[in-house]
Amino acid sequence: MLEVSKVRKSFGKTEVVKGVTFSVERGEAFGLLGPNGAGKSTTISMICGLLPFNEGDITVDGYSVKNNPMEIKKRIGVVPQDIALYPTMSAMDNLLFWGKMYGLSRKNALNRAYEVLDIVGLRDRAKDKIETFSGGMKRRINIGAALMHRPQILIMDEPTVGIDPQSRNHILETVKQLNKEGMTIIYTSHYMEEVEFLCERIGIIDHGEVIAVGTKEDLINRLSGGTVIKMEIGHYNKSLVEELNTLPFVEKIVTKDDERELEIFVNSSHQALGELVSTAVKNNVEVSTIQVQEPNLETLFLQLTGRSLRD
Amino acid sequence: MKSFIIAWKDFKIRFTDRKGFFMMIFFPVILTAILGSALSGVMGETSLPKTTIGIVQTGNDPLAAVLIKDVLKGKDLKDIVSVKQVDSEKQLKTFLRDEKIDAGIVIPSNWSQDLQNGQLKQVKLLVDPGKELKGSIVNTILQSFVNRVVTVSTSTKTVITHSAQILSPNDLKGLTGQLINSLQKAANEPYKSVQNSTIGKRMVSGMQYYAAAMAAMFLLFNVLNGTKSFINERDTETLARLMSTPTRKLSILVGKFLGNLYFAIAQLGIFITVTSLLFKVNWGENLMQTILIGFCYAISVSGLAMLFAAFIKNEKTADTAGGLGIQIFSLLGGSMVPIMIFPKALQTVSNIAPNKWALSSFTEIMAGTTWSDLSLPITVLLTISILSITIGTWRLQVK
Ligand SMILES: Nc1ncnc2c1ncn2[C@@H]1O[C@H](COP(=O)(O)OP(=O)(O)OP(=O)(O)O)[C@@H](O)[C@H]1O
Ligand SMILES: [Mg+2]
Repeated sequence: MLEVSKVRKSFGKTEVVKGVTFSVERGEAFGLLGPNGAGKSTTISMICGLLPFNEGDITVDGYSVKNNPMEIKKRIGVVPQDIALYPTMSAMDNLLFWGKMYGLSRKNALNRAYEVLDIVGLRDRAKDKIETFSGGMKRRINIGAALMHRPQILIMDEPTVGIDPQSRNHILETVKQLNKEGMTIIYTSHYMEEVEFLCERIGIIDHGEVIAVGTKEDLINRLSGGTVIKMEIGHYNKSLVEELNTLPFVEKIVTKDDERELEIFVNSSHQALGELVSTAVKNNVEVSTIQVQEPNLETLFLQLTGRSLRD
Repeated sequence: MKSFIIAWKDFKIRFTDRKGFFMMIFFPVILTAILGSALSGVMGETSLPKTTIGIVQTGNDPLAAVLIKDVLKGKDLKDIVSVKQVDSEKQLKTFLRDEKIDAGIVIPSNWSQDLQNGQLKQVKLLVDPGKELKGSIVNTILQSFVNRVVTVSTSTKTVITHSAQILSPNDLKGLTGQLINSLQKAANEPYKSVQNSTIGKRMVSGMQYYAAAMAAMFLLFNVLNGTKSFINERDTETLARLMSTPTRKLSILVGKFLGNLYFAIAQLGIFITVTSLLFKVNWGENLMQTILIGFCYAISVSGLAMLFAAFIKNEKTADTAGGLGIQIFSLLGGSMVPIMIFPKALQTVSNIAPNKWALSSFTEIMAGTTWSDLSLPITVLLTISILSITIGTWRLQVK
């Protein structure tokens, strides 16, 4: 359905997308997980034909973005990262407008607008102006506008940024449902939980490169048995961290939260707990909590990059 | 097809915007009322005694020329007033004593140089104490001339400088308040004894002149608003979204242009209708001429919006540059004070102002004109349109 191959993009001298390659099958939900500035939005803009790129190719249904952008645009619905609606127009008028821009007739647009309002759960606010909506409601209409023409692929760029948990859940459930009904989904986020909840396959992107692709299980198996142990200590002690680093099973240590929380990467957690605590005690550092984290994508990201998805 | 959808969307947004409505439709009507009533007026029925006025004019002030040529020697006063140019104030006093003149006026040099700031230098009025009535006639004529010139320039300036900054309903209230003040000032004028000069065959009244002037000026705001609509669309990501729909770039540009054009046409149409009904402004015998000039002018302001959108990046710059530009062009194009008071060189420069062409054509149509006389302004307006649309489209397309 969608093929992105070896795409490169530079802004001036800085290359922000460095040979990104991935593909998405029909009916699949694909997640693009990456921290701020990883190149997610840039990649999406290129898929939608908004941004020319330097190298590589992108095809949808066999059509290349370079030669047949219109064919691709018809098949895609994009939910931009920012709210792209007209604030002084009503929700209904916005939906009608975007529907018509996708080529729907007036009548079809009207019928579809009601369906879409039902999907996003805002039918009772149809006549209200967008500017009177809460952040979460705006986001929902922002998604609705991309659904008007029943796209084959729905591309969503961080659609849940900055909204309340209730709206967020509503959005996630909606997307899950759309996917169940057969819509291909591409979902970018820096929230691991969202991507894990929605997507069968996930690409992890950092600094303009896809550093891992696969199903959630594939990716976690790649963790080479690694686990993260979270240890909260009474005070930061440099020699403790240095000594912990010399332990054979420790791979990486990330300090967080005014340096009183250590995320310690270990390749096996069997004897680790005991040794970690005793090393701390030896250095006269008090351990307030210690906890083994289930391996997840966050752990993988940490292992691959040495950084966490969000700071 | 898609262009019309975009155009209609833009038109609705602009038309239902309260601030825009006040700015574009309410204010021009109000301003016409203020300026028109300050400028026009009817001479009383009572026959006034014939008065001879001596005038000392130092230097070559353009406003002084208007006062002497168009007002004192103008049609309406020529039966009452006769003017005698005098060389010095001393001689004026001698004439007054010898009863060769009934009143004397001394106009300072560079009389109108501070007019942009709403100020005029003091004029000295010398009256024969024995001829009180004649003295007060001259005083009234002079006062009302000065008042209307100052009112015109300040209220126009107020609207233009503040219009760019209206953000909240409170700002609107403030500006409306100021306008009403000027309106009251103009209305409290004891005598409105001066009528505007003639242009063309029929006489064009002050009300007519300012109706045309306000139409020309406020349509100019579409350049600014149109530019901002482009910029806004870029800033709010709706442009990116438009581009992600299967719509060609050119269709989007044409849509934006048409949206602005729809609004300009509606604005002018409403303005002409309202001023005809409310103030009985006569826009001329030949409605087709008015429509054609209005249409050409609307196209050129929409075209200019496109041109500026291609070069201006952010809304702030647009506001600053636009506010200033509209001020300069309104002044230059005769929307603030008739360009007759400008020096010749400046009158030539004013030909670059599209609003000048619209205004002069409107007043000519009011006075009665032929189609062939309108061919020059039509050509100029269409040339401005074609040039700006071409350059604007080209620049915006490659971006
Ligand atoms: N128009 C541009 N000009 C120059 N640099 C740009 C431009 N757009 C994006 N970038 C740079 O490209 C990199 C990737 O940006 P992008 O917006 O794709 O990241 P992202 O993964 O979407 O991040 P976020 O999660 O913050 O949205 C960033 O370093 C950004 O500064
Ligand atoms: Mg982004």
